[in-house]
Amino acid sequence: MPANTSLAHLSDVLLVWTVSAYALAMLGYAAEFAFGRSGGSARAGRAGRAAVVLTVAGWVAHVASVTTRGFAVHRVPWGNMYEFSSMVSLVAVTVFLVLLARQPVRFLGAFVMAPVVLYLGLAGTVLYAKAGPLVPALNSYWIKIHVVAAITASGAFMVSGVVTVLYLLKDRWERRSAGPAPVSIGPGAAAAVEFGDTRVGGLMHWLPASAVLDRLAYRVIAFAFPVWTFAVIAGAIWAEQAWSRYWGWDPKETWSFITWLAYAAYLHARATAGWRGRRAAVLSLIGFGCLMVDYYVVNTVLVGLHSYAGVG
Amino acid sequence: MTELAEAAKLSTAPVPPQRQPGQGLRRNLRQAWRQLTSMRTALLLLTLLALAAIPGTLLPQRGLNPVAVDTYLAAHPQLGPFLDKLSLFDVFAAPWFAAVYLLLLVSVVGCLVPRIRLHTRALRRRPPVAPRNLTRLATSTEWSADAPPAAVVDAARLLLRSARWRTDIRTEDDGAVSIAAEKGYLRETGNLVFHIALVGLLAGIALGGLFGYKGTVLVVQGQGFANVRSSYDIFQPSRLYSDSQLAPFSFMLQTFSASYQPNGEPRAFDAVVDYRATPDATPALRHIRVNHPLSAAGANVYLVGHGYALHIQVRDAAGRLVYDKDTPFLPDDAMFASHGVVKVPDGLPKQLGFTGFFYPTFGVTPFGPQSTYPGLRDPELDLAAWQGDLGLDSGAPQSVYQLPVASLRHLANRQLSPGQTWRLANGTTVKFAGVDQWATFQVAHDPGKRLVLVAAVLIVAGLLVSLRVRRRRFWVRAVPADGATDARRSVVHAAGLTRSDPDGFSQEFDSLVRRMKD
Ligand code: HEM
Repeated sequence: MPANTSLAHLSDVLLVWTVSAYALAMLGYAAEFAFGRSGGSARAGRAGRAAVVLTVAGWVAHVASVTTRGFAVHRVPWGNMYEFSSMVSLVAVTVFLVLLARQPVRFLGAFVMAPVVLYLGLAGTVLYAKAGPLVPALNSYWIKIHVVAAITASGAFMVSGVVTVLYLLKDRWERRSAGPAPVSIGPGAAAAVEFGDTRVGGLMHWLPASAVLDRLAYRVIAFAFPVWTFAVIAGAIWAEQAWSRYWGWDPKETWSFITWLAYAAYLHARATAGWRGRRAAVLSLIGFGCLMVDYYVVNTVLVGLHSYAGVG
Repeated sequence: MTELAEAAKLSTAPVPPQRQPGQGLRRNLRQAWRQLTSMRTALLLLTLLALAAIPGTLLPQRGLNPVAVDTYLAAHPQLGPFLDKLSLFDVFAAPWFAAVYLLLLVSVVGCLVPRIRLHTRALRRRPPVAPRNLTRLATSTEWSADAPPAAVVDAARLLLRSARWRTDIRTEDDGAVSIAAEKGYLRETGNLVFHIALVGLLAGIALGGLFGYKGTVLVVQGQGFANVRSSYDIFQPSRLYSDSQLAPFSFMLQTFSASYQPNGEPRAFDAVVDYRATPDATPALRHIRVNHPLSAAGANVYLVGHGYALHIQVRDAAGRLVYDKDTPFLPDDAMFASHGVVKVPDGLPKQLGFTGFFYPTFGVTPFGPQSTYPGLRDPELDLAAWQGDLGLDSGAPQSVYQLPVASLRHLANRQLSPGQTWRLANGTTVKFAGVDQWATFQVAHDPGKRLVLVAAVLIVAGLLVSLRVRRRRFWVRAVPADGATDARRSVVHAAGLTRSDPDGFSQEFDSLVRRMKD
């Protein structure tokens, strides 16, 4: 069946709306921080709430964009790198919103939105692929299971990566600014103003304590890791059906495995004396780096069986 | 271990190795073993395994693409052989790669044995005694209650039991009564299941690697395949394979069909076969497609390739049929321009051979003839006829896709459409009678597959449990209010401990304490 071009066009338009809403939301979160620093905490709160509304609106448009794309091509909307990147961003925003419903994590807003906007921008331009059907090798119900799991884990790993970077920054700052580490003061705290700090110091005051960030990163990884494990296993089952072996050390498989090992090392490090905290955090960032290699370097540079999911 | 450290020990994770008592070799061996089964070593080996896998994705690998390895070796005459000596073109079969994962395996097993023992003991033991000073714990509180210590603790026990905590009450010397409660043993169980399943997974992989087989065969439409070793074009047995593992199934390829998108990209393939599980079973119609292997008596049959087979008929000058066969041609590009060879050794005064190029959709470009679409829209066959000794009787093995043209005499060339006949100068006629299709099938048998699948399921289940469930302890100590043993009022201390997710735990702790106060 040929692709439905008007629906595909609608999906593209919705993606533009999505990116716009997310970009505005990012500005809102940034404004919340800026106003919070200059003491206008009412205005800060308003900016933050507006940013959340924009995020939700963008999320709705994003879901609609992905759905219309699926209907336009009569298949699941994750068959190439463009669609894949859009889905990963959608999961990252979803994870953020779910966290937000349970914990005061609005401070994360700008830091989640920035990579998401960048990623979607990249997806919509460099990686963009015209709507079309799948090649036979991708036409299996395992693609739905395997890829949904991979996308979900990746989106969550992306959020954990953002939190981990914030953790490392905050942790370094806490150890540098000798004195007693400030207690968690959360968004909009006036403390930053009183300290009259540099811009970076202000940001650091505004972030929660490093221990809070560390635990948040762990919780997200503890969610993502089993999902990633399942994704790799579902991929192996699919490979067994398609290529007559469940594991063949194809570059894509190998990098998924390396990513898995890196996060397993992170979980071990957290349980090992002397490796908790900073060193574990670095391991998780290495894991995220491996994930990025898995998606982008493997698909474009290293040639393997999986490389038909290519660009263009 | 101090009382507090004992109370805070919420997992069976090995503690960092201490210097061992004793002396000499025994002590050193024990020390080395502790080191090998420590968390630090597991961490190190996991990282090492990840690093060791990287070159396998950067350099071409023999197991994946032997041609690319040869190309690389030719391009790097200095570096190539050196890398080859380090097994860098067979990373995943290299001794140093095996060394890392075998060490990891030994480490896991060595780590698991004491952990299983500790955990089964913990499952049967009473929760650890309340530390003397509960206020020293991070999550703790105190209040006073209008009831004697025993009653306070009894009420606490009722509450904890209804929330499925394991509890243990102790009466202390000074008239205080304490209760120790623990919950979430499943975390450790899940973690142990996960690690045991990892070992099971490796066992399953080893089983498949030792006893399985794999083979590839090309079958032309209308022809059959029987699962005996001699039927295969390529056969790869494993180390401990024996012919008795070949189940006696067979199939006949009835039809093969392929459909394509307008730009020539493949859309769908379908091979319809008559399958028999045993030689005297009644044949059953089955479809083999990409992603849909045929499950055949413990083995799987996969569709891995396809191409065109050309039906050629050759008659001698008197009109007698001397050659009448479907000859498979091998595809050279995505549009299925293909090449092949026809050999007519018998029935003619001199042996005759043809080299041919086949275009399913013929087109002419500035670079010469080409196929412009993989489907049969305008098939054309380019043949060159050669005469002489085909070399088939020399005994030397010869590919069916090659003709020793250097020692043959070139007769003529001709382009044919289906149905056309070409008459050579000596009266021999060649007819391009039609086009059929062939498909290649891979048959794979992996006796470890089921174990691998079960282990994989346990790995995910174990992980989910171990990362979701929180192991936590909770203590309440009620002390007589004024030091009197028969006091009617008590001072209550409560404290709790967890290792993962303290945020969630402090909520649970608060709600438990609130309900105890009521
Ligand atoms: C094949 C190699 C291994 C892999 C892939 C692996 C993976 C994992 C993972 C993902 C976890 C996290 C689960 C959790 O936090 O509850 C974990 C936990 C753990 N692993 Fe391993 N592991 C391996 C080898 C080992 C070895 C050799 C040891 C022995 C020292 C070990 C001991 C532990 C312990 C004690 C925990 C629990 C830590 C805790 O209490 O939180 N693992 N492992």
